[in-house]
Amino acid sequence: MIGKKRFKRNLQILLVISITILLAVAALKFLQNGSWLFASFAGITAILVARTYWLGGSVHSKYLFPGVILLIFFHIYPAIYSGQVAFTNDSNGHQLSKGQAISAILEDSLIPIEAQSPINYVITIGNSDGKVFAVFEYAGSYWAGNSQSFNKLNRDNLGFSPEGKLLAIKGYQILDESLQSDYSQELQTLSIHVNSKLILSPSDFEYLEAYQPGRIYSEKEDQITDLTTKSLYSPNDNGQMVNSSGDILYPGWKINVGFRNFTSIINNSEVRRPLLAVLLWTFINAILAVFLSFIMGLVLALVFNLAEMKSKRIYRTVFITPLAIPSVLSILVWAGLFQTSNGVINRLFHSDIPWLTDAYWAKLAILLVEVWISFPYMFLITTGAIQAISSEVIEAADIDGASNFQSFTQIKLPLVLRTVGPLLVAAGAMALNNFGIIYLLTGGGPTFSNSNGNAGATDILISYTYKLAFNSQEGNNYGLASALSILNFVLIGFLSIYGLKRIKTMEGMN
Amino acid sequence: MQITSRKKVRRWFTKILWRHIVGIIVAIFSLFPLIWMISAAFDVTNQLSTQQLIPVHKGFDNFNALFSNEEKPYLVWVRNSLVVATTAALLQTLLGSAAAYSLSRHKFKGRAITLNAILIVQMFPQLLAATTLFLIVNSLGDTFPLLGLGHQLPLILIFTGAALGVNTWMLKGFFDTIPSDIDEAAKIDGASHAVIFTKIIIPLATPVFVVIFLLSFIGILNEYLISSVILGLDGPKMTLAVGLQQFIYGSYAKNWGPFTAGALLATIPVLTLFMVLQKYLVTGLVAGSSKG
Repeated sequence: MIGKKRFKRNLQILLVISITILLAVAALKFLQNGSWLFASFAGITAILVARTYWLGGSVHSKYLFPGVILLIFFHIYPAIYSGQVAFTNDSNGHQLSKGQAISAILEDSLIPIEAQSPINYVITIGNSDGKVFAVFEYAGSYWAGNSQSFNKLNRDNLGFSPEGKLLAIKGYQILDESLQSDYSQELQTLSIHVNSKLILSPSDFEYLEAYQPGRIYSEKEDQITDLTTKSLYSPNDNGQMVNSSGDILYPGWKINVGFRNFTSIINNSEVRRPLLAVLLWTFINAILAVFLSFIMGLVLALVFNLAEMKSKRIYRTVFITPLAIPSVLSILVWAGLFQTSNGVINRLFHSDIPWLTDAYWAKLAILLVEVWISFPYMFLITTGAIQAISSEVIEAADIDGASNFQSFTQIKLPLVLRTVGPLLVAAGAMALNNFGIIYLLTGGGPTFSNSNGNAGATDILISYTYKLAFNSQEGNNYGLASALSILNFVLIGFLSIYGLKRIKTMEGMN
Repeated sequence: MQITSRKKVRRWFTKILWRHIVGIIVAIFSLFPLIWMISAAFDVTNQLSTQQLIPVHKGFDNFNALFSNEEKPYLVWVRNSLVVATTAALLQTLLGSAAAYSLSRHKFKGRAITLNAILIVQMFPQLLAATTLFLIVNSLGDTFPLLGLGHQLPLILIFTGAALGVNTWMLKGFFDTIPSDIDEAAKIDGASHAVIFTKIIIPLATPVFVVIFLLSFIGILNEYLISSVILGLDGPKMTLAVGLQQFIYGSYAKNWGPFTAGALLATIPVLTLFMVLQKYLVTGLVAGSSKG
């Protein structure tokens, strides 16, 4: 028994140690790649794991730790990071750092030198740093080079076969032919800067092609000169190199743009006009979806709250089927039923209604599906709330001569609202971000003509954000999308606090 | 005698009959998409335009088409969804209940703050940060390809990250109802906190775990936004929700049959589970939302 316990204890320690080591190794790997933020996160987590589970952390922290750490990294940190991205121009063509963007621009401008015949090279791995080097003969000497360094090799350190083939290099390992393809990506991006007029880059596993730069970058002036056109390019305020006639060199880089994403929401009519419509529909849609399904649920709960009706259980089971069908699937089925030509609904009613393509009909279709999905839940909670009202209260009202209608509006409804009020606020907050229904049913369409194809009549804030970030015809704009997410965070926060406060004061009054 | 029975009939008409009428109308509304899903799945003509409530030509052609479509590998999507949803829902339940146990049983400094912080975080849904989750996973992949875009591991971690927000309050509420005398007694008998948690609390809470697991599982199955952002809109790693949507891209009418067949096959197990465990799931749904 004791042996078993000790075995278990040892197993636990082993597990904790291996997780700690794993995280520490991950931290080093991140550091190597320059992701210092992820590195410090993994490092701190490693220390905390060891502290919590190994070096006698408190009991409660052992239970809270894994959930909290994942919550921080995958929920809280992304939210905070949105705040950071919202102040940048992060978008397609603006994801690199300035240095990376400039080397990409220079790389793009290389002009092959026809006069120089390709140079034979061998692929090697540097013993000291494990990086790929091309070793080749040029101008009577042997050289080892890659994108970062270019070194002359001492002839004494080289070993040749009788035929003059290079066999061994001190400090470098010649790569076996069978492993070459593993390094094809490194070789593709390899470019060796021999001098200011000659750049060598592998064309295959055997030969280096010679190039001359078409553009040069001067760090001092922070300018790129095009050697053929003699045109001068300097950085603009959007992280791009631009010349006096407005030509832009791609790619650009990521810079801080301050409040520009937020001000563009106000100043840029291409962003503002669709956004106003989207915001309005976000609210109307959420309010109507909750209100209509609540009314339907309440009415049904009242209708079927009758002890002598034996079949109400069967009805209840049928009514909750919308909850039991995975909603992505039911929404897609609804999308089929709503098709204009040949759709089941139009055929049933012998109509020709453009359900998903006309702005007003599409809104109606969305509300219909929203009510279909959420009335069962409203039915369940209102039934619960009605049954919780003590029959004495109702009887007392009857005796006092209250009509059915009076007893409903004066007694039942306030009591029900008091119970389900917080649930309605929560449902409203959720309905503000009802992405699935909008995106899968109409895709936010029909599209506004003035929005570059990004916003449509049925788009809500979250679906508009999604399209800006991942589906945009003019390039994905992560910066602007994050700014809209921040706006959404703020709206939800205010509404939830306001809604819950209203309910608190209502309760206080009762 | 006759008068009372006539009275009864009249009473039935005024009090019961109209309720049945309302009930039947709402029942048709509730079942409408399901009925047409079934009908289209077995209609071999595979035409949106000729589909009848009861198909004229019945058969399994749509199911065969569904399984033999190599461009749209239905079974692969199902497997992907099962892997992601099962792992993430299991982790959500486990981490959520570990946190809830500690918050329910251990008195420590910062307990109230933790509970409130969880409530506040819960107000801001994770999907609002989809853009930055994409950017984060993208750069994680630069160092560890397995944690990058197009892989299921980061998706599972993201969903697990939502665990505390989704389940903790509900589970804590349940653990609070288990009398602490039980674990006090066990403690006197020399049981450690781990033994109390695994041998006493977990067995007592099994029904709640099942409910939370299933609700999390269905929730993840239904998740479209983050899944599509992390796994992409093509490739073999897609989940069912993202994959089936591809069926209706472009020409809806052409794929209506196989699509409904696939939707039906995915609906049946979930629907059955839901109906069998109806009593527990309904309680869970109502209780879960009332806590936040």
